[in-house]
Amino acid sequence: MAEVASVAVALGGGTDRSIQFARAAQLVSEPEQLYWVARAVLCSSREEFEAFGRVVGKQKAESRKQEEAAAPSLVNAVERARSHGRDRREAVLAAASAQERLSEKSFDSLTEEELRALRVLMRRLQVAPPERRSRRARRGRRGERLDLRATLRRAHRTGGDPVEHYFRRRRMRRRRLVMLLDVSGSMESYSRAFLQFLESGVGGADAEAFVFATRLTRLTRALRGRDPQAAIARATEAAPDWSGGTRIAAALKEFNDSHGRRGMARGAVVVILSDGWERGDPQAVGREMERLARLAHRIVWVNPRAAAEAFAPLASGMAAAAPHVDALLSGHSLVALDDVVEAIGERRAR
Amino acid sequence: MTVPARAGAAEAVRAAVPDPDALATRLDGADYLADQPLATAMFLAVRLPQPLLLEGEAGVGKTEAAKALAIALGTPLIRLQCWEGIDSSEALYEWNYPRQLLAIRLAEASGHDLSEHELFDREYLIPRPLLQAIEHRGELPPVLLVDELDRADDDFEAFLFELLAESSVTIPELGTIKAEAPPIVILTSNRTRDLHDALKRRCLYHWIDYPTPEREAEIVRRRVPGSSEQLALDVTHALRRLRGSDVQKLPGIAEAIDWVAALELLGADRLDAAAADRTLGSVLKYREDQELVRKEGIERLVGAGG
Repeated sequence: MAEVASVAVALGGGTDRSIQFARAAQLVSEPEQLYWVARAVLCSSREEFEAFGRVVGKQKAESRKQEEAAAPSLVNAVERARSHGRDRREAVLAAASAQERLSEKSFDSLTEEELRALRVLMRRLQVAPPERRSRRARRGRRGERLDLRATLRRAHRTGGDPVEHYFRRRRMRRRRLVMLLDVSGSMESYSRAFLQFLESGVGGADAEAFVFATRLTRLTRALRGRDPQAAIARATEAAPDWSGGTRIAAALKEFNDSHGRRGMARGAVVVILSDGWERGDPQAVGREMERLARLAHRIVWVNPRAAAEAFAPLASGMAAAAPHVDALLSGHSLVALDDVVEAIGERRAR
Repeated sequence: MTVPARAGAAEAVRAAVPDPDALATRLDGADYLADQPLATAMFLAVRLPQPLLLEGEAGVGKTEAAKALAIALGTPLIRLQCWEGIDSSEALYEWNYPRQLLAIRLAEASGHDLSEHELFDREYLIPRPLLQAIEHRGELPPVLLVDELDRADDDFEAFLFELLAESSVTIPELGTIKAEAPPIVILTSNRTRDLHDALKRRCLYHWIDYPTPEREAEIVRRRVPGSSEQLALDVTHALRRLRGSDVQKLPGIAEAIDWVAALELLGADRLDAAAADRTLGSVLKYREDQELVRKEGIERLVGAGG
């Protein structure tokens, strides 16, 4: 029995599961039944059935991949970057003159100056996910359903006549916005512009921003900080410089495991900005996207390569992700980003 | 270790289902064929104060399992169907406002002064499924089926979770109602979204797979009395091929039953291409799916020699 308890721990169940199992195991006598008892108690998804069979079936358990050695932490770089300052007025001036020319220009051909100007323009983008109905209701003089309870209590005061009517209205809650930006080598020419997009995105009440290349880094706080511009500059510098693909699946998995599942992605609008060039197993991208799709309200994928006329989502990771994506957009220029903003705010669910 | 397996009605429950096999036999009597893993999971849900979360493709018999369990135990089935936006007035209880209004009027007409206390009396309360399950008094606890929980909002999930953990309801005007014996809870989900980890951790879990063609044929023959074994087997083998293909809507066990019933009605004793073609609408409800199958050839669906 101790063996099975250790299986419980291996499956990530923890001690409460072990206790549940010990209790359940008393109810049956045959060894074969014990197997099914253990499975019903210790597993909580179909995928875990498989792992359970492997472990309890006494086959050699697959050794887990070693956690990668701590890669250069982007967060540290970002923190350090906060101390740098930059003159903002310059950017404002540049924006005024360059605005028109800028709005259709592809991000990968922007000059340093134009990039700075872009930032001001991006601030105007109103990145707002759609609202959802909350379970809680608000009482008021107008609304969708008559609040008979409140009306009646009032009616009591006016001798039983429901003179004043009260209604209940569902409160609206804005959905969370989660943005995941690929900052690997293949995205280099776009990542600075997109980082600025992230910055304007996290201005919203409930938004989160992450960047990923080999590993996932949460950038929300840095972008909300006093000097996000410096943060962006550092974040881009710190991005690894491989010219190959990214490990999208690993990054998505990390996001799903440590943030998404805990509620960050639940009912949220998730925006992924990446060219979908996967260095690892594209199948894994599909798997993680499916997990994410089950949690999220909508997934918007921004792929700057989609701007090319002959574009088809052929990059291995992109092809695997495509079935789980609600909207695939290029977002390669300011005008194109407008579409992205619109897609984020779209009300329709899948 | 002597942890009480189930508070309330423990003896009666133990006598009713001493072990998983006994439950399987009872379920069989209710025309539900459960394999050993499922019977064991359901046995645990009956004997332990833990809900059982059933997942599986649409139409594998998740809801049927709960219904059969209620029949097998001879206890009522209380069903709560979830949908997006369901709230406590639809799931737990609601005051019968029209009746309360009427009472006020009547009191007024007869010159009687109605106190608020009288107005929020038990007789004006409409119990919804969750309250019904908690209030149930009987030898055995009722089976509470919370169907398609994944369709409800996640705040409802949290609310439900808390309620089930407490097994009691507090109604401000009336006080707290506690369950004599916590209901046997079966939750089903089609996995359109992931349920919260906290909920999953508390639940027993079982994934219902499509049955083997042989078992499915057995199930079908229970539901379509007088159908031939050969026809049922032909159909379930064809369904297995369909489920492995690219159709959008995978046919469930209900479709197997419908299909056999339709074929029986037409007097077919084997599933051949012609018969399958005529009755394809019992199985595939999307035009695209039918087109796909016809394009790949009905013969392939029926299989060489069945």
